[in-house]
Amino acid sequence: MSTTTLPAATTTLPAAPRPARSGLTFGRLVASEWIKFRSLRSTWWTLAFALGGMVGISLIFGIGIRASAVSASDEDSMLGVLGLTFGYTAAQLALAVLGALTITGEYSTGMIRSTLAAAPRRLPALWAKLLVLTMVTVVVSFIGLALSYLVTLPLLSGTGVTVDLGNDETVRALLGVPLYLTAITLMAFAIGAIVRHSAGAITTTLGIMLVVPMVFSILGIFVSWAPRVGAYMPTTAGEQIMSFGGIAGAGMVSDYSLSPWAGIGLLGGYVVVLLAVAAVLMRRRDA
Amino acid sequence: MIEARGLTKRYGSKTAVDGISFSVQPGKVTGFLGPNGAGKSTTMRMIVGLDRPTAGSVTVNGRPYAELREPLHEVGALLDAKAVHTGRSAANHLAAMAATHGIGKARVRDVIEMTGLAGVAKKRVGGFSLGMGQRLGIASALLGDPRTLILDEPVNGLDPEGVLWVRNLVRFLASEGRTVFLSSHLMSEMALTADHIIVIGRGRIIADAPVQDIVARATGTTVRVRTPHATQLVELLRGPDITVSTSEPGLLEVTGSTAATIGETAAAAQLVLHELTPIAASLEDAYMSLTADSVEYHSTSTGLPTPVGASAGVTSEEN
Repeated sequence: MSTTTLPAATTTLPAAPRPARSGLTFGRLVASEWIKFRSLRSTWWTLAFALGGMVGISLIFGIGIRASAVSASDEDSMLGVLGLTFGYTAAQLALAVLGALTITGEYSTGMIRSTLAAAPRRLPALWAKLLVLTMVTVVVSFIGLALSYLVTLPLLSGTGVTVDLGNDETVRALLGVPLYLTAITLMAFAIGAIVRHSAGAITTTLGIMLVVPMVFSILGIFVSWAPRVGAYMPTTAGEQIMSFGGIAGAGMVSDYSLSPWAGIGLLGGYVVVLLAVAAVLMRRRDA
Repeated sequence: MIEARGLTKRYGSKTAVDGISFSVQPGKVTGFLGPNGAGKSTTMRMIVGLDRPTAGSVTVNGRPYAELREPLHEVGALLDAKAVHTGRSAANHLAAMAATHGIGKARVRDVIEMTGLAGVAKKRVGGFSLGMGQRLGIASALLGDPRTLILDEPVNGLDPEGVLWVRNLVRFLASEGRTVFLSSHLMSEMALTADHIIVIGRGRIIADAPVQDIVARATGTTVRVRTPHATQLVELLRGPDITVSTSEPGLLEVTGSTAATIGETAAAAQLVLHELTPIAASLEDAYMSLTADSVEYHSTSTGLPTPVGASAGVTSEEN
């Protein structure tokens, strides 16, 4: 084998084609990150799980609404919107894993050294990765939302439960799904870039998503300040963007809850801070 | 051209690289030799900006690596055969690396062909053998057709064919005027491949010279003498630069003199010699004596026949 490859080496190298405008650009880093992103199986598994979760949960709502034959009321309209948004609970798990793995996968395999050797300024590579992840998450969560709408629409017809896309509040709650899911994915990505370890990053992210709100509801039984402080926790705040008819995500809107936009803004703030920490660490640390 | 000045790397209290300065010239293969943990890999990682030096600096073609506009066209680095995502195919890995610099698909195909990966390019890297991983690492390094190549243990895990291929490849690349910096702990491999050698031990440069000089300097001139009159001969040979060691009665190893001088000395005193053999040292010997911290220039005879000096002979090929 080598005896045949050797002559190839001696003849091909000098003639190596060099594109006229070759060199490192941000656009090319994005193209590279897109190739990396789509060439891993874990990407497609996590995205399929996210979509499946969103559509599956909507189906459960749709079938449930139809079977129980509820009559039209404000509460039932809430049920229709909730049926479309509630899938985020499943999707956020898959997308958090995806967000974390996008960066920790490079550290655990050593790929990061190849990545940074090609992009030694480092931060452009981080932003390129972030951009690809953001675009994919936005697109996939919109697709998930649209599919959920399409599969539940026939089930809702004739039940009296409607989803009024002309209603500002409905639209805000629905658009909240991609916003919230993107924020969660980026939070997982930032934590991944800080922790640089898959299991650690995923556990930390899931802890913030699932354990922190639970701790505050437990504390709420005993101390009066718990709900007030708990409202400022990342996911509790972020979920407000999907609130509709007194329900925000998996919880109730309370007196202490932030407004939808303040809530998602706060979650975005957490994400920006985490990304800033990740960026500083990425520049400083040895790869 | 790679230039390091006072390059230092400390991890906590441990100093991995201790203020080393060296330059790697274009047009030759420069070997970077040292025992495990000597600081070879750390130095190479600092060259390509993966590790930040604690002190000092290192430049490639006159600039820090991070300031290169087209890093993959300037430097091709194989730092670790495992610097690849195991879930991705070799072809996709190379395509992603190529995309960062707008390197075309044709070049990706070329390096796949060149490194003998065509048969496995579509397979995921996780299933690769160490040798295949090395080939992929070398393919990545060659992708940008770089002027400088930095290869950390490139023959590690390769079969004999692969070793020969790497040797010919790096010699060819150097002959084209490229800078080739190659680390290895295999002295014999270095003897066959490198023109110039930088020896590092405990984070410091121990030697930085052409291969022949390293061999010559470390060994001096050792001559094996077998004589029934060992005691008298030692008395006659005694001198400031001469070391004599003996491992068995009647067998002397004389360093710092020549076979001719020893023969004449013996003849003048009418001492019988049964053997008078100049020992051609191998690079292995040179390396061992250079890295042996406490026992410099002390010839430790093992009683085993000295390895054939063929390796030292081959290194003196023209460059």
